[in-house]
Amino acid sequence: MANITCTDIVKAYGAHPVIEGLQLDIPDHEFVVFLGPSGCGKSTMLRMIAGLEEVTGGRIAIGGTDVTDLPPGERGVAMVFQSYALYPHMSVRDNITFGLRRQGASRAEIEPRLTQVAELLGLEKFLDRRPRNLSGGQQQRVAMARAMIKTPQVFLFDEPLSNLDAKLREKLRTEIRKIHMQLKTTTIFVTHDQLEAMTIADRIVLMRDGKIEQMGSPDEIFERPASRFVADFIGTPAMNFVHAEIVAGDRLTAHGGGMTLHLSPQAFTTLKPGQRVELGLRPARMDLCEPGAENALSGKVVLVENMGAEGQVITEVAGQEISFVTQAFRSLSPGDSVCFAISPDHIHAFDPETGDSLRQE
Amino acid sequence: MTRKRFVTLTLVPAIGLLATLALVSIAGAVWFAVMNRTLRSPDYDFVGAYNFLRLLRDRRFFNALEISAVWEAVTVIGTLALAVVLAVLIFETVKKPLTRNLICFAFLVPVLLPRVAAAFIWRFLYSPSLGVINYLCGLVGIGPVEFLADPSLALISVAVVDIWQWGLFFTVILLKLMETLPRDPIEAAMLDNARTWEIHAYVTLPMLKGPLISLALVKAVESLRSFDLIFVMTGGGPGTATETLDLYAYQMGINMGGRISYASAMSLLLLVVTTVAFTIIWKAGKKWAS
Repeated sequence: MANITCTDIVKAYGAHPVIEGLQLDIPDHEFVVFLGPSGCGKSTMLRMIAGLEEVTGGRIAIGGTDVTDLPPGERGVAMVFQSYALYPHMSVRDNITFGLRRQGASRAEIEPRLTQVAELLGLEKFLDRRPRNLSGGQQQRVAMARAMIKTPQVFLFDEPLSNLDAKLREKLRTEIRKIHMQLKTTTIFVTHDQLEAMTIADRIVLMRDGKIEQMGSPDEIFERPASRFVADFIGTPAMNFVHAEIVAGDRLTAHGGGMTLHLSPQAFTTLKPGQRVELGLRPARMDLCEPGAENALSGKVVLVENMGAEGQVITEVAGQEISFVTQAFRSLSPGDSVCFAISPDHIHAFDPETGDSLRQE
Repeated sequence: MTRKRFVTLTLVPAIGLLATLALVSIAGAVWFAVMNRTLRSPDYDFVGAYNFLRLLRDRRFFNALEISAVWEAVTVIGTLALAVVLAVLIFETVKKPLTRNLICFAFLVPVLLPRVAAAFIWRFLYSPSLGVINYLCGLVGIGPVEFLADPSLALISVAVVDIWQWGLFFTVILLKLMETLPRDPIEAAMLDNARTWEIHAYVTLPMLKGPLISLALVKAVESLRSFDLIFVMTGGGPGTATETLDLYAYQMGINMGGRISYASAMSLLLLVVTTVAFTIIWKAGKKWAS
């Protein structure tokens, strides 16, 4: 087990840089998720830590040892690939023990460890099968067993659940989290699925265009997004954005798009009257209200999406589509007039030019 | 027109032509084999199994059988071994696509040469007085070596030419096959602490088991038809050191003996032996690959 330190990491393909001057510190035992849209450099970053991709500049240290120039096998890392990357011609047993056998471990040493990981991942019955005779979920378990048997300092997961169906994904996600609680091995997990990231991570590293956009606990990222990009990327349904202007008055108020909303003065201490802002309203933080309540918005229902326990209601408010989530969605139908509100504490405001959050606390 | 009828109508002419060509010649060989025809006289009699029984007492025939078996083993194993070694070497050391393609192009040239041309080129290279190989041997104090006249070297020397032609060609095929393999298992092996040779021995080559078996069979069939190469380079000599079955059949039937019935019997025996041998090898190979 070990901490990971990445200093001034640069990666370029020819003259085209994909990662520029990235700094990252991952403490021991932490479960970190690299999250971001495709092409943001998260997989490249993971592969550089694994040693499968050369760094153009900067240093990577694992457990205090500089591993930048070490081959992948000597870094003490184990990786689980999106495609599972099992050896197709070997039995499950040989797949799992391949790494240990390459290190010259004896049979007596390998056998108990094989039994242990096979038991942990429920693979005892499949040890003599070939990978092609296993389901996707079982194959991914074999890949995880192969990584775990080496007792590495660091686990790397490269979108390991992307090829599985939704139900299985959820199940394995929970298993991975449980295993981490048991083994406490430092883990980096790459995904583009924000829900996966939120549920599994101790800390999320949200990346965009080769840079870290925000780093923090799932709660921090959800409640205090550092930029419009983060706010937009995290949360389903996606955040509503409204262009507005701060107006003078005894309360901190923004007006725009036919809406007048009060903001929390503690959160936004620097906003001045006349300043243009982009407001962010989370659908999940809004609900139906009586007309005349604080921050009430009234609109016409365009569409109701049933999500089971609750529903997303898409409304038109002064020519702009705003959605909110409510449990009482079954009483609504397209064309109805509705009133819904958001508490001032849950309104986000961003700089319309830079996209940076204007929240102070 | 129904699909079945269309398939039948389009297949019948081709299969009919092939069957006629193959069956007529085999039938002709059987006809000859049970007679005692020679090129010297127009008379002939029916002799039944006489030619076949004589073959079983012919030591030169068994020598040819042995040479053929050695020739098959050496050329097939040599070709595949060279192809595997070179393909892995290029795969690991040459990363630039342009350089790789140039090497592949160069490697394709030998197999494009007609056999006879390749045979003549190598006869000059092997020549004790003019050959560049003997010149090089001379520089390190060996030789001159009689590559084609020394009975212990002749077969190997001819096999080298065959391996040169086909091994380089198979290198190109193998290299292209290796390029199509998924990267992930190779990377997983790198993370599993496997050395480069271990990655290829345990991961990439086993993943190519199926194609490798097919290549071996193609080469085995091809090696059976090396008459032209051996004929030009050594003519079966010195003595009978490089006389394979087809060469012996030719010598018997056409060149010196003119005993075409005897040669036909030999060809038929060769047909049976190869058909049986290849069926067994093919079945075993398929079982092993699955």
